[in-house]
Amino acid sequence: MRAHKFQGTKINPSKFHPSQIRFLLIILPIALFMLLPLIYIFNHAFKPLEELFYYPPRFFVEQFTLQNFVRLFQVTGSSGIPMSRYLFNSIIVTVLVLFTSVLISTLAGYALSKLNFKGKRLLNEINTIALMFVGVAVTIPRYLIIEKLGLIDNFFIHVLPYLAIPVGLFLIKQFVDQIPNELIDASRVDGANEWQIYTKIILPLIRPAIATIVILSFQTVWNSADTSTTYINNDSLKTFAFYMNTLTSNTNGVAGQGMAAAASLIMFLPNLLIFIIMQSKVMDTMAHSGIK
Amino acid sequence: MTKKPLKRAVRQNLIGWSFLSIWVIGFLIFTMIPLFTSLYYSMSKVVLSGEGIQVTFVWFDNYKQIFSSSEGFNFLQSVSDFAIEILFKVPIITVFAIIIAVMLNQDMKGRGFFRAIYFLPVIIASGPVINQLVYQGAATIPLIEEMGILDFINNTFTEALARPIANIFSELIVILWFSGVQILLFIAALQKIDRATYEAAMIDGAGPWESFWKITIPALKSMVLVSVIFTIINLATFSENDAIQHIKTNMFALETGFGFSSAIAWLYFIALAIILGLSFLLFGAFAKERGRR
Repeated sequence: MRAHKFQGTKINPSKFHPSQIRFLLIILPIALFMLLPLIYIFNHAFKPLEELFYYPPRFFVEQFTLQNFVRLFQVTGSSGIPMSRYLFNSIIVTVLVLFTSVLISTLAGYALSKLNFKGKRLLNEINTIALMFVGVAVTIPRYLIIEKLGLIDNFFIHVLPYLAIPVGLFLIKQFVDQIPNELIDASRVDGANEWQIYTKIILPLIRPAIATIVILSFQTVWNSADTSTTYINNDSLKTFAFYMNTLTSNTNGVAGQGMAAAASLIMFLPNLLIFIIMQSKVMDTMAHSGIK
Repeated sequence: MTKKPLKRAVRQNLIGWSFLSIWVIGFLIFTMIPLFTSLYYSMSKVVLSGEGIQVTFVWFDNYKQIFSSSEGFNFLQSVSDFAIEILFKVPIITVFAIIIAVMLNQDMKGRGFFRAIYFLPVIIASGPVINQLVYQGAATIPLIEEMGILDFINNTFTEALARPIANIFSELIVILWFSGVQILLFIAALQKIDRATYEAAMIDGAGPWESFWKITIPALKSMVLVSVIFTIINLATFSENDAIQHIKTNMFALETGFGFSSAIAWLYFIALAIILGLSFLLFGAFAKERGRR
C-alpha cells in the first residue's frame, strides 16, 4: 500500500482520521471567530431599527424584517438616474481595472525579479518606499495632475489611478522570486524568448498570487467612491459605491442607519462572490507546481 | 543588408524596460509626481480658493508648526501610539499566522474549507465593512471587559503602556482579521518543503517538535520579512488609523490647510520608513542566514 496517493491538485485528504482531531480542536473555534463579521453583516441588514441600537450590540436578528431594504429602494426611485446606470459603470470599471492591473503588475513583477537590466535595483527600492506612502496625502497633487491632463469627467479616470499599485507589484515580485532560476534558464536553453517565459512559465506558476491580487484590487475598486467624488462631476459617470454612499448619507438620522446596514450588505455581496470564485485558486498554492 | 545584432547588455536593458514601461509610466504620473508635489507643498503655504490654488514657499514653517501647536502634538501622540501598537501587533499577527498556517498545512478533512475561512477576513478587514463593524462596537469581545482583564492591565502597567495593551486586548478579533494574507504567504512557503525532508528527519530520530524547529521554521524565515512588512503597511495605511485621520481633517481645515497636512503626511512617512528600516535590519539578517538572496 502506498502511503501518499497522488491526488492531483486536490488539497483535501479524502478520509477523516482520529489523529486529525487535535488540529480541528484548535482550528474550529478560531474559524468560528473568523466567521463572526460575516454573520454580523447578514444579520444586521435585517434588523428592525430598535435592534440596531442595542448596546452591547447583538449578533443575531430577533425580529426579521425587510424594511431596511424597502426604504433603500424607495429612496432609489426618487433620484433621476436609474440605479442600473451606476451598477453598469461600476462593473465596467472593475473589470477594466482587474485585467489591466494584473497584466501590468505581473509584467513588471517578472521583469523586476528575473530580468537583468540597468536601474532594476533602484526601481525596486522606489517601489518599496512608495508602499509606505499613504494615499490620502497625494489627493490634491493627484487631482491637479489629472486636471492638467484634461481627464476630469473622463470615464477612464476611474481606472487609471489604480493601475500601478505598489502593493500588488510587491506581492507579485515576492512570488516570482520564489520561482527557481533553473526553471527559467532551462526554458531559455530550449529556445523560449522572454515573452514565452512570461506566458508559459511565470503566469501559470504565480496563479495564487494573481488570484490574491484580483481579490484585493476588486475590493479597492468596487468599494471606492473616491474617484467619483474627486474627479467626476457628471452624475451619469459615477459609480455604484458613490451612489450607495449618497443614499445613506443624504438620509441622516435613525432611518439612515438601517439603510446603511442594508446598503453595506448589498455592497458586500459581490466581494463575497469574487472571494468564493477565486479562493480555491488562491489556496491551491504551489504544491504541485514542480517548485521545490 | 543585415542588421547588426544589438549588444547583449543593451538588448537585456531593452527587454527589461519594455516589460516595465507601462508600469513605470503609470507610477510616475499617478504616484511619483504627486508625491514630490506634496513634498514641495509640505514646505509651502497652500491656499485653496475658487480660482485655483496659491502656493507660497515657506521652508520648514509647517514642520515647526507641528512641533509647536496643539494640533501637531495630537498628531505626534497618535504616531507614537501607533509605533507601540505595531510593536505588539506585528509579533502577534506573525506568530498567529505561522501557527495557523502550520495547522492548515496538516492533512485533515475539510482543509480547503478552513483555508478559505481563514482567508475570508481579507474581504472584511478592508473597506467599509470593517468601519461599520468597528463603529457598531461589534469588533470587541464583551467577555474581556466582563472578566476584568482591562482593570487588571490598568493596574499592573504604567499608564503609557496600559493604553496600547488594553487596546490590543479589546481589538483581539480585529488583529486576527488582519492576518489573512500573512497566513497565505506562510502556507505558500510551507508547501515548498519537501515531505521527504520530514521523513528523513524522522528516520534520523527527530520528533515532531524538533522537525518543527529545525525544518519548518527555517523554511518560513524568508517569508517572515515579507509578512512583517505587509503587516506594518497594512496597519499603517488602514483608513481608520488615527494618524491618517489627522492628515485628512487638516487637509481642508482653515487654520492649518494642505501645506500643514502634507507636512504631517511626510513626517508620518518618515516615521514609517524608520520602523520599516528597523524591521529590515532585524528580520532581513534573519532571512539571509539561509543564504538566500
